[in-house]
Amino acid sequence: MAGGAAGDPGSGGGLDAAVAERLLETMWRIRAFEERLEPLKRSSMVLGLTHLSIGQEAVAAGVCTQLRDDEPVYSNHRANGHALAKGVDMGRLLAELMGRAEGCCRGLGGSMHVVDVAHGFLGATGVVGGNLPFAVGSALAGRLLGQDRPAVVFFGDGAAQTGIFAETLNLASLWQVPVVLVCENNGFAEFTPRSAHTRVERVSDLAAPFRVPAATVDGNDVAQVHAAFAHALALARAGSGPFLLECLTHRLSGHYVGDPGGYRAAVEDEAWRARDPIERLVRQAAAAGWFDAERSRAAEAAARDEVEAAVAFAASSPFPDLGLPAELTYAR
Amino acid sequence: MANANPTDGSAPAALGAERLAWMYTQMYRIREFEERVKSTFTEHPGILRGHTHLADGAEASIVGSVAALAPDDQIVTTYRCHGYPIALGTDMKLMMAEIYGKATGLCGGLGGSMHLYDVARGFLGGSGIVAQAIPHATGAAWAAQIRRRGQVVVCFFGDGASKQGAFHESLNIASVWKLPIVYVMENNHYQASTRTDQEDANAAHGEPLSTKAKAYSMEGVTVDGADPVAVHATLADALARARSGTGPTLVESLVYRLSAHGNLIAPPGVPLNYPEHEAIAIFGNRDEYEAALRGDPVPRFRHQLVTEGTLSAADADAIEQAAREEVDEAQRFALDSPWPAPDSGLDYVYA
Amino acid sequence: MSHVIPYIAAIQEAIREEMERDDRVLYFGQNMATSPEDPFLKQFGPDRVRVTPISETAEIGIATGAAVAGYRPVVELYMAEFLLVATDQVVNEGTRFHFMSKGQVSVPMVMVAGYGFTAGWAGQHTGSIYGMFMGVPGLKVALPSTPADAKGLMTTAIRDDNPVLFFQNYLLLLDEGEVPDGEHAVPFGVADVKRAGSDLTLVATGYAVRTALGAAESLARRGVSVEVIDPRTIAPLDVDTILSSVARTGHLVLVDQATRHSSVAAVIAAEVAELGFSSLEAPISLVTALDSSIAYSKPVEEFVLPDEHKVVKAVEESLGLAPASA
Repeated sequence: MAGGAAGDPGSGGGLDAAVAERLLETMWRIRAFEERLEPLKRSSMVLGLTHLSIGQEAVAAGVCTQLRDDEPVYSNHRANGHALAKGVDMGRLLAELMGRAEGCCRGLGGSMHVVDVAHGFLGATGVVGGNLPFAVGSALAGRLLGQDRPAVVFFGDGAAQTGIFAETLNLASLWQVPVVLVCENNGFAEFTPRSAHTRVERVSDLAAPFRVPAATVDGNDVAQVHAAFAHALALARAGSGPFLLECLTHRLSGHYVGDPGGYRAAVEDEAWRARDPIERLVRQAAAAGWFDAERSRAAEAAARDEVEAAVAFAASSPFPDLGLPAELTYAR
Repeated sequence: MANANPTDGSAPAALGAERLAWMYTQMYRIREFEERVKSTFTEHPGILRGHTHLADGAEASIVGSVAALAPDDQIVTTYRCHGYPIALGTDMKLMMAEIYGKATGLCGGLGGSMHLYDVARGFLGGSGIVAQAIPHATGAAWAAQIRRRGQVVVCFFGDGASKQGAFHESLNIASVWKLPIVYVMENNHYQASTRTDQEDANAAHGEPLSTKAKAYSMEGVTVDGADPVAVHATLADALARARSGTGPTLVESLVYRLSAHGNLIAPPGVPLNYPEHEAIAIFGNRDEYEAALRGDPVPRFRHQLVTEGTLSAADADAIEQAAREEVDEAQRFALDSPWPAPDSGLDYVYA
Repeated sequence: MSHVIPYIAAIQEAIREEMERDDRVLYFGQNMATSPEDPFLKQFGPDRVRVTPISETAEIGIATGAAVAGYRPVVELYMAEFLLVATDQVVNEGTRFHFMSKGQVSVPMVMVAGYGFTAGWAGQHTGSIYGMFMGVPGLKVALPSTPADAKGLMTTAIRDDNPVLFFQNYLLLLDEGEVPDGEHAVPFGVADVKRAGSDLTLVATGYAVRTALGAAESLARRGVSVEVIDPRTIAPLDVDTILSSVARTGHLVLVDQATRHSSVAAVIAAEVAELGFSSLEAPISLVTALDSSIAYSKPVEEFVLPDEHKVVKAVEESLGLAPASA
């Protein structure tokens, strides 16, 4: 698959009206949810560290909306978008971020540790790269159980320099494990630009020496992400080995809520705003005759309504029972 | 015995007869030493404890590499570390005493076979844990880069180590920082008891393991590690690149270890020995092992030098005889040396 | 003469002064020196100050190798849990080299790691995990509780010829305090009496020192005189100062943010039980975190951690005091 250059307007190829609408709704749900987190965090309704993915919604939507509930996704510390796109209930996700008993982890996990087994959201980890081998193990288990159940793992470009990345790629390749490794390459590892981290320009370039097929797409073009992931998923479902899909994207927010962002001074946010994945899909849809800007405004309004309902649900949820640590420290 | 390493680290020139004889001498000394360590298990049972790993089969790679070093260069190795200090000129008596756990050993018996050091000769040590000395070598190369005296660090490890995260992280950083370092992967085709193609995605597809260098935008090259002259030329190139600030190189040196991974692992009371090589013991592939014996780099190099007329058979015999006498003396010294005082270690817990 | 600065600034001040004093001191790690305006990068240049990728094994291993080769690196690990990614390098490499080489090499390096970010950072970034390193031969562990100690212990850590783990507490980073001007080195293995008292000995480590001092203050208002001791380094551990205090007070309560069986408190309790048993007039009491991961949700997070109320209650029980009226 040819890698598209970031910023390519994109044709919307491979989508149809129904799929495009679903992607639009999913991206708006993520956008509206995360934009609402900012004031919730400032008023201390949301606790701790919250990593945002505003501007990266196309990756979560393009990938997760194609998966069945039994096909597991492993996420990282920037998990909100992945979780919502994978089907995690917005009210329960927000309740988790507010540390409430009705959160999907009963308030014990929070933003970096969201798990929803029913929707195949098998977890986020707060340690960079730590989730990669879980997906390989999960896909291996699926194969041993005779199930058509590949696994998907999201990671950032910073994870590609961790040792566990290399260990994981070697084994996934050697054992031909059906796992799709989705890299959200936003050009920053935490606060450090990529050039300080490696001389290898593309994360997909790292895959070849491990004999892992790979593609790089414009991660702000949801159509490209959708088509490339559809290809990778079809291979994985057919039992082939690993595939690395690199999505070039860009956070429009800092590393976490409240990050002063000084280190990003050199980055031209405006140029990237022009590549806003939602706006681009709307332009593609208009050209293809799928829907118009009015449809997008309606999806936005519905998403913001859903967020307000989630806020009401989460805010009314009690805090968890203090007996939970004793109950949950060990499985029984 | 010519212990001193007479190189000046200048550009690779054709190796002269004297230098080639020196290389054969070091290869033979290593072989003789390792065979004596191995025979200790049967001839002096109980002396050797723990785990000992031998370099027989890798002599050409070791000596070819060391021969290319400049006097100030440094090396970091694995736990299979007897060969390098021998080529660097470390006193064999002190080495054998260390491996025997004696007070007179290089490290007073505190380190043993897996933990030799000779800092004065540029041997900074290694690690008993697979791949974990790769970042140490990388750090030493950072130090060399800052010092700006033209030093290069050579980091030796096995093919198994290239599956460790430490390898990936270290080579990436060395490439970003353009460190003066050469990574020498001695690919002997086996981990402790696994064939490389059972655990390595490149090997499983018949690719050279130097392919891994591409993941770091680094030079990668594969060389016949049984040919000391070829290894010398490859290292000389890589050292020159490192010294000029161009950056690191990954050298895959193809060797065949002629002994098993290490001696028998057993609880006290069970006599220790050297089992058969894994090719036979685990995989039943006697043909492979016998072919490796026929390609043994030590007699192969002797044959080459004698055939070319670089070395007379009599000179070669003399080199071998001298090595045997040197190892005899080293072993006598080690056997006669006292055990360390039981409390001697407590002085070295903290610097 | 002294000046008032935050805990984190005190640490940075020590690193800067040591880098000025000794050009063998290197400073590198994740999330630092990313801009040319970085003050360390500007002052000391890219030879000595570098950002690394997220590669903990290599970061700590590189520090080890640079130390063996003659430098004195300070490696910024950011969060204590990231040490666990590279446990072999922390515990089983540089710590062994001086010993195994019979003193031929030494490994003067400092690993700086923040711990105990119990402010909603949930299960993987909140641990007080220093206890698991205090029994590693060859490794020293510093755990400052005040800005002055933070500076003084960092200075000593950089000058020490051994690997040192320097744990800074995330909740204390912005706490201000008096810090001596100029060179300030706090010796390792020397406990500090943070508050003198005669009725009971409270020993607390790191962040828990603040909890202990708060409890001592409220007890003082009831006429109870509590001595608060901060060991400052847990390896080496100054047991003598604790024993001599207990010899005077007869009562010992230990406060620690770590889980009970992984706590410094448990080790101190064992030492005093063996070496100071005859001084004790009541059982030793441990106020530690409950044996649980740290929850994200604030009420549950608070529930498992020690606090002033729990310390006061332990002191009351040790001294046989009636609980204070609510």
